[in-house]
Order: sequence, then C-alpha cells, then structure tokens
Amino acid sequence: MIKVDEKVVQWTKNLTIAQLLKTLDDVKFCSVVRLNGKLISSPKFKTTKIPDNSKIQLLPLVAGG
Amino acid sequence: MDQINLKEIKAISYEKAEIKKGYTDHSLRINLDESDIIINPITEKIKDKFIGGKGYDLWMMWNAVSGDTKWNDPENAICISSGPLGGTPGYPGGGKSIVTSISPLTGIPIDSNVGGYFGPYKKFSGFDVIQIDGKAKQDCIIFIDGIENKIQIFEASNLPQDSYELSNVLTHHFDEKKPVNVSVVSAGPGAEHTYFGCLNFSWWDAGRKRVRYKQAGRGGIGTVFADKKVKAVVARFGAVSMKTNNPADLDALKLVTKAHAKEINELDPKQNRMALVGTTHLIPIMNDHECLPVHNFKFGSHPESFLIGEEAYEHIFDKGFDGCWRGCAVACAHGVKDFSPFTGPYRGQKVFVDGPEYETVAGCGSSLGIFDPQTILEINFYCDAYGMDTISVGTSIAFVMECFENNQITLEHTDGMDLSFGNRFNTLELIHQMARGKGFGVIVGKGIRNMKEIFAKDFGADMAFMQDIGMESKGLEFSEYITKESLAQQGGYGLALKGPQHDEAWLIFLDMVHNFMPSFEDKAEALHWFPMFRTWFGLCGLCKLPWNDIVPEDNKDNAEPAKVVKHVGWYADFFSAVTGKKTDADGLIAMSEAVYNFQRVFNLKMGYGTREHDTIPYRAMGPVTEEEYESRQELYDGQLKDKYSLDISGMDTKAKTAALRQKREEQYELLTDAVYERRGWTNNGIPTVATVKRLGIDFPEVLEVLKKSGVE
Repeated sequence: MIKVDEKVVQWTKNLTIAQLLKTLDDVKFCSVVRLNGKLISSPKFKTTKIPDNSKIQLLPLVAGG
Repeated sequence: MDQINLKEIKAISYEKAEIKKGYTDHSLRINLDESDIIINPITEKIKDKFIGGKGYDLWMMWNAVSGDTKWNDPENAICISSGPLGGTPGYPGGGKSIVTSISPLTGIPIDSNVGGYFGPYKKFSGFDVIQIDGKAKQDCIIFIDGIENKIQIFEASNLPQDSYELSNVLTHHFDEKKPVNVSVVSAGPGAEHTYFGCLNFSWWDAGRKRVRYKQAGRGGIGTVFADKKVKAVVARFGAVSMKTNNPADLDALKLVTKAHAKEINELDPKQNRMALVGTTHLIPIMNDHECLPVHNFKFGSHPESFLIGEEAYEHIFDKGFDGCWRGCAVACAHGVKDFSPFTGPYRGQKVFVDGPEYETVAGCGSSLGIFDPQTILEINFYCDAYGMDTISVGTSIAFVMECFENNQITLEHTDGMDLSFGNRFNTLELIHQMARGKGFGVIVGKGIRNMKEIFAKDFGADMAFMQDIGMESKGLEFSEYITKESLAQQGGYGLALKGPQHDEAWLIFLDMVHNFMPSFEDKAEALHWFPMFRTWFGLCGLCKLPWNDIVPEDNKDNAEPAKVVKHVGWYADFFSAVTGKKTDADGLIAMSEAVYNFQRVFNLKMGYGTREHDTIPYRAMGPVTEEEYESRQELYDGQLKDKYSLDISGMDTKAKTAALRQKREEQYELLTDAVYERRGWTNNGIPTVATVKRLGIDFPEVLEVLKKSGVE
C-alpha cells in the first residue's frame, strides 16, 4: 500500500510515478511530486519507481519566482 | 568599533498625517543639495491613477528627472513607497517596500520589491512615499522618527563600512531599548564601486535578538544611494496592529487576512514548504526540467545540483520564524547562523547569513559551476554586506567565466586569476575586489553590457560571440531561469519594462510543461495578464509569493488554474477592505495597466522604450555553440524535423545550429508583434494615443513624449 495525498492506493511491484498518475483523476497539471519527501519532476516520472509503503504528495502548478 | 559620529545638519518637527484607509496622503522629499526636508500633500487625482507603491514612485520620479538625466545626476531620485495595503500585520506578504531610481545599468527606471520593516514604518510615520534627490557633500544619514515626529539629516563619520555591521549599529543607536522599532536602509562599499549596488532593508528579529535584512537588489539603486553619499535612511515607529493602517472595514480585513493565512499555514507544509526551505525547493525542480542555469546558462541541469538544493539548505538553515514582515505565514526569509567565512574581512568570525534564496543559489552557484553550499553562503554574505545584487554578480561572473574559458579574456586581463567555471576562491576574490574598487573586479562591477564593450575594445574579444552569450537585456543581467524551450518566457524577460527580471512574468511551466498557450495570441494574452497582475503587488506594498506559490487544493478544478482565481478574489477583497473602494479582479488589472503603460512611456522619455531595446541574447532563445546543441541533440533534431519540417539528414551540427537559430529568432519577432498588439502598442512598442487615453494617463507631458516619437 502507498499513500497519495493521504489516500491509500494499491501498490504493485515496479510501479512508476507515471503509471500511478494514469490511475488518478485531476492530475493533468501535476509536474512535480514529493516521493517520501524528495522532489521528483515530470521528466523523471517514467523512470522513478515507487517503493511499497511510500508517501506521495502531488504538488500544484509550479509558479516559479 | 569606536563611537559613531553623527552631526545634525537639519531637523524639522512635523505634525503626523493621520492614516486614512491605508494612505497618509503625504509625501516626503529630502533634497540633499540644500539639506531640504519638504512635506507635500498627495492629491486624490494622483491617488486614483497611481494607487501607491511603484505607481507613486514613478510619478515622483517622472517629475524629478528630465529625459536627459543620467543615473549619477543630482536630479535622479530614489523613491521608496509601500502602498495602501502595506503594513498589514498578519496578511501574508503584507509588508513590502518598492524602490525606484534611474538605473546605472539601464538608464531607465528600475523598480525593486523588498521586505523588511522600513516601508510600513515610513508610512506609519506619515509618508506614503519618500523621494531622495540631490547629492550630499558629506556622508549622511536621514532619520525619520515616527514616534517623536521628527526628521533629521546628519553628517556621519566613523561608521562601519559594510551594511551588515552598519544596520546593527544604527538599529541600536536609534532605539537601544526597543530595536524592533527601527528599520535601516543601507548599502555598502560594493555599491560605491559597482553599477549593481543593492539596498539592504532591515528588521529586528525578536526571536534571535539580531538585525536581519532583505535586499532591493535589481538595477543598481544602491549605487545611486552611495553616489548621493547617503549611508543610511532610518525609520522608527512603535507598535503596529491591523488598526494602524486605519482600514475602511476592519472586520472584512480580519476575515480575508485570516482566510489567506489559514490556508498557507495548512497547505505550505504539503506543497513547497517555503516556511522551511524558502525558495530552494526550486533548485531540483528547475534542474530536472533543464531550466537551472549551469555554466552561464549554457546548460539547464547538472548532476551535482542536489548538493545545493532544498535537501542541503533544509539542514543548514537556522530554525525559527523567518517572516520579513510581522505575522507573515509564508515566512520564507531564512538564514544561517554561526557561519564562518574563509575569506575577506570577516574571515574566521561567526556571522549570520540572510539567505540564500533560489536566485542566489542558481546565480552564484550552478551558473558559476559551484556546487558547494558553503561557498554560496559566503558569496551571499559578502554580496549583502558589501551591498551588491547577487543576481547581477552571479550572472556577470558567469559571463566572465565563459569568456575566460573561450580565450576571449586571459590571465593577462584578470590580474592572473584563473576564472574557469567552478573556481570558488577566485570568485570570492573577484567579489572582494568589486567591494574594494580594485583590480579586475572594477571592470566586472560595471555589468555585462559595459564589459562587452571593454572586452572588445581593450582586449580584442569577439563582440558577436559576447552578444550571444552575455545574459543581459536593456543592460540588466538576467535572473536565473533557462528560457530556451519557453518562447513565452523569452518574452517574459525581453518584453519586461525594466529588463530581464522574472517578477513581471514567469510562464515557463505554463508554456513549456503544460502547453497552456500554444498560439502566439495565447502567449500574448499571458504576457498581458500576468505582468499586469504582478504589477499590482508593487502598487499595493505586497509580496507575490502568497498568490501562486501556495495554492488552494481545488485550484486545479478552476477554468484558469494559472491565475489562482480564488486568491485574486481575496486580493480584491483585501483592497476593498483597506481602501473602501470596492473592486474586483478586473479592477486590479485596470489599476496596474495604467501604471504599467506609464512606465513604458517613462522608458521612452529616457530615450529607450522601443522595439530595438526589447531584444534578448540568443543564449536565451537557443543553443549558441555546437557543444550546447549536441548536449540536447535529440530534442533539437526533433524540432527541426517535426516542428519546422526540415530535412536535416545532410546537415552537420553547425548547420543545424544555424537553422534552429533562424527559426527561433523568427518566432521571437512574431511573439513581439503579438504582444505589442495585445498591449495596445505600436509595432515599435510604443503605447498608442488611444491606449493612454483609455487608461487615463493622457497627461500633456505623456502625449508630448509620444509625439516626439511620432505617435499622435
């Protein structure tokens, strides 16, 4: 199991951030997430695997400076 | 340090204007030629049109300078204003000052938005805006005492040389028992010897029992300050509450303040964690999106960037409340205690470093090939103490390093210093030289535009290459974002009024990542709305971070998520509650549009403000060198083939680089056409008569400036 913004989501082996986002609603503006506290940006979504028991936060639009 | 010497040369007592609905309706002018202290009323007409903050500053400056005024002429003015909403305790980002002057780097008005307590204290002392003009004969200090209702000008001697110690000494000098009552504006020796001097605005950090400061960094206002022989401007005021600003509707103000602060307190820990890491969270994000300047904006990422991002600074920052105004929930002004520099006059001593923020980390770190957080801290500390803008310092040195590595300049020109990327010690030495006004640092301190002329004329460097890689526009050094893959942000920099600073528009993600604005018209609309709304913060004395750096959880469901519409509504409520003038989102834009266009005409008055001055170096648009092209060859090849339908099978890298350049430069010109049209400007970038009339800024002197440029 993993937690995405406090919601429990089923974990599968080799689950990537990109695969996870495909299963969620309202994520079209999500270009950055926190995976266990570490910032991961969209260019790395396909290659970043999610460990079991992870905590993921979906960050809103990046507003910059 | 021995006792400082202050000799009073002029003093007045004054009757403090009552604050009504966020305004004192009075200005203060200090003329240093004659040591005059002049208080004037501000009319309703000016208030309605210019609102406050940057609007007031620009109006005062417009009347102070002629089109021939240079930055170091006596009539050039430094104006500081807060705005009607500034000084609202508890409202996130509610205590900013906006500072303007004719810039030594650009020759046009520069504006800088800064924290610290000075702006609110000045207003509560009775003045919406202060104007400092003329030049003092001796070093001087201006003291605005809103408790005793007295203004004094002192001749000053035996002062500490740098801003770090000067802020501390003057805070205690002017209120030993209650240092929280004092805010000091000061520069330093770097401001005397470079064109990118900054101003430090202080506040007393009651938790740490020490003076802190934030910087009005851009454009060399500190240089003007030093040229006028002003060592400091000090404001003193007592207790502040929500009632101090005498809002029209206190209950409504409390309601909107509570709502916004509550949301930030709840959501910041889930989002960017700015109360913990400031803006350093942007380092890994920009790096991963190839937007972090590395080696003078040549590359957009670096494998060692993780060493200088939030993961490092979260552990280095001193824990505690870090709001640069009272009760700010964002509280992002972090610092590092007990830092021990390994160079310079503070070598081996323990100091407090205010910062770094993202811009300093990127400009004085990755762009210089420095991935050591401690060195970045030391650069940050000395730039502040010396009174120099970290953005211009970083971007200028990055330019020097690329010139050095390409043999445009050599050891012969740099006093024997190896200025290759990554050389930490010589970077610091260069900064010390700038502050001392000695050695090669004197040339670097003149900024990139001047360096290009000097390097070409005196050192035989290739001007065309330097024009491509020198990251300046209008004479101002770029702030720290790579824009090669975002045409909209290229416009955000090149079409910004004061030069390439991101506070007018930051559209990289909306454009590059989310493709919100696929057409030129879409981009032009964004380059209208966002600069207008961001301008509004400067009119009112606010920080923009609470608007869109922490956003409501349901924001993504809104039709226009980039605008953070819920917060825009809160700002309209905030304005209505304080001023009593009911407004809405469109009303906020209308306020800004008048001032924005007035500033554009001001540029024209100063001999700029036309299309030829809205250009950007090619490095901001695309890869200058073959090495740069090949670093993202797959991307660029794909664009040439798919976006521009070119057959590249027989092309070498040089040919492909040239082909891409032609396309991208064409795109920038088309964008410029679209933005000018959307803003109601001529094809040469000048507001039309119809535009200034629509906005109610068709003053005779404005129309005269337009007429001189053939617009009537």
